[in-house]
Amino acid sequence: MAVPHPQVRPASVRLEIEQAERRSRRRRALRLVLSYALLLLACAVAIFPFFYILSLSFKQSTALVTYPPQWIPNPPYYGNYTTLLFEKPFLRWGLNTLIVAGSVTLIKLLIDTMAGYAFAKLEFPFKEQLFLFILATMMIPFAATLIPTFLIVRELKLQNSYLGLILPALASPIGIFMMRQFIESLPTDLENAARMDGCSEFAIYWRIILPLIQPALVVLGIFTFMTQWTAFVWPLVITNTDEMRVLTVGLASLKGQWVTDWGLVAAGSVLIMLPITILFIFFQRYFIAASLAGAIKE
Amino acid sequence: MQSARRLSEAEHERLRRRYNWHRYRTAYLFLLPNLILFALFLVLPFFWVLYLSFHEGGILGAPRFVGLKNWSFILGDKIARQTVLNTLLYMLLAIPSVFLISLGLALLLKRIVRGSATIRAAIYFPTLSPIVLAALLWIFVIHPDFGILNFFVRALGFAPINWLGTGTALPTIAMLEVWRGIGFWTMLFLAALLSLPQELYDAAMIDGAGPWAQFRHVTLPLLRPTLIFAFIMATIWNFQLFDSVYILTDGGPQYQTATVVWYIYKNTFQFDKPGVGAAMSFLMLLIIMIMSLVQLAALRGRR
Repeated sequence: MAVPHPQVRPASVRLEIEQAERRSRRRRALRLVLSYALLLLACAVAIFPFFYILSLSFKQSTALVTYPPQWIPNPPYYGNYTTLLFEKPFLRWGLNTLIVAGSVTLIKLLIDTMAGYAFAKLEFPFKEQLFLFILATMMIPFAATLIPTFLIVRELKLQNSYLGLILPALASPIGIFMMRQFIESLPTDLENAARMDGCSEFAIYWRIILPLIQPALVVLGIFTFMTQWTAFVWPLVITNTDEMRVLTVGLASLKGQWVTDWGLVAAGSVLIMLPITILFIFFQRYFIAASLAGAIKE
Repeated sequence: MQSARRLSEAEHERLRRRYNWHRYRTAYLFLLPNLILFALFLVLPFFWVLYLSFHEGGILGAPRFVGLKNWSFILGDKIARQTVLNTLLYMLLAIPSVFLISLGLALLLKRIVRGSATIRAAIYFPTLSPIVLAALLWIFVIHPDFGILNFFVRALGFAPINWLGTGTALPTIAMLEVWRGIGFWTMLFLAALLSLPQELYDAAMIDGAGPWAQFRHVTLPLLRPTLIFAFIMATIWNFQLFDSVYILTDGGPQYQTATVVWYIYKNTFQFDKPGVGAAMSFLMLLIIMIMSLVQLAALRGRR
């Protein structure tokens, strides 16, 4: 504090300073308590519905409407899970989701780093124009091109196929931007040295650039995987057989037009959230970085 | 030695051109996979949707040219107009709320240290769920019989509310999207807040600025570019509201939750009117592009 000689101050002033300090300390503590209270309230609002379906998933659908609600089912009922896993094609939907999201992620990682490398490090005619064009495509919402995309994929005879689910998902510009930005920040000395040694551009990309941008690959990988994990409209439109559904569409199909087995829906939701929750607990930092990197498109 | 030999002008030019051609070819090979995909699934659909908007049929049979019929239909159609108004009303309800709450939470999170990571994880958690799952989850929140909200409503002594009824359905859907969006926007605003220079706050504090004055005169002006950019993104995303409507209300009651994308989907895949859907798609494309460009211009102007 900027009080050089407190001992020379008269007692009354010292007392006043002490009181003021205590007051401001108390005010700061109060503000901190209030901050925590509000934040914990937000946490509760965010998390509580998930606990509620966890509880419901262990109840028989006929027992849902008990009032007051029984928060911890006793005894727990496992029928929803066994029905889902053994009588519904739930595992198949999970496999489909994994195949589609996994393929899209791997392919996007490969082709977006390639394009990012070209835009960041190589010279070629119409570079600026091509980049602006890709920038402009970000303004095209997928929903607006849904109909012709459907017709194109149908024309290619890819309805109800993995390729039909995967291909249109690959045409998205965000990854190219992320990778261009990352690769641009790498020093050119390394590549130039490799070029002097007679390395081909592809060898430089594969042996030098890719290992250097591993953190960016993790971020883009999670971003792409999560986008596919949550995708709904396209899988809904392009598949119509029970065994080609992905998890989101399958889960939605459990909600019947008139009658719905809510216990089953709750169990399905829990099973979908489970793997992603485990991944999130371990890679929380990367998850949040990924969602922000996808958002900051400039 | 070969290197000692002087190249003639023409030879030099020829070699240079071959070398450049080789370099350009390599660059284009790197871009090729993405260029093919963009041409096939973005450029072609962009023009095709315009083409379809002047035609009838096309899903089941061959498309038939009908001129401006689809366009005059959607411009005169009451339901089409309502879907645009509903979508705008939804955005008006959802975007300011989610921004206010998220900015508030980000400011609070910036202040605390202990437990911060856990609290962030919990607040972010709903963003991990697919919208479909979030919507189904919300059926358990808003269900008239076993929903959480009505449990509280009853405990307070009121009659249970029909959260998807006339007048309540669209706000409920906005509430759901706000709930799912808070985590994402909070993290975005927190990242922006943490990147602001601390010296400015120190200077403001020396000048005797309290928390509100600091927010009003330091934080808000510095956050302006982030906020405008966030508004653009939120506009583009929220204009495409569909998943939760499809799950919760299917447009009802009386088209009160019918959104633009819902209308496109219905016309194309259920009413067999892809031409109308295509015209609506192109209209949405134009609206979104104009809104993005206007907001982008606003962003440039402020800088």
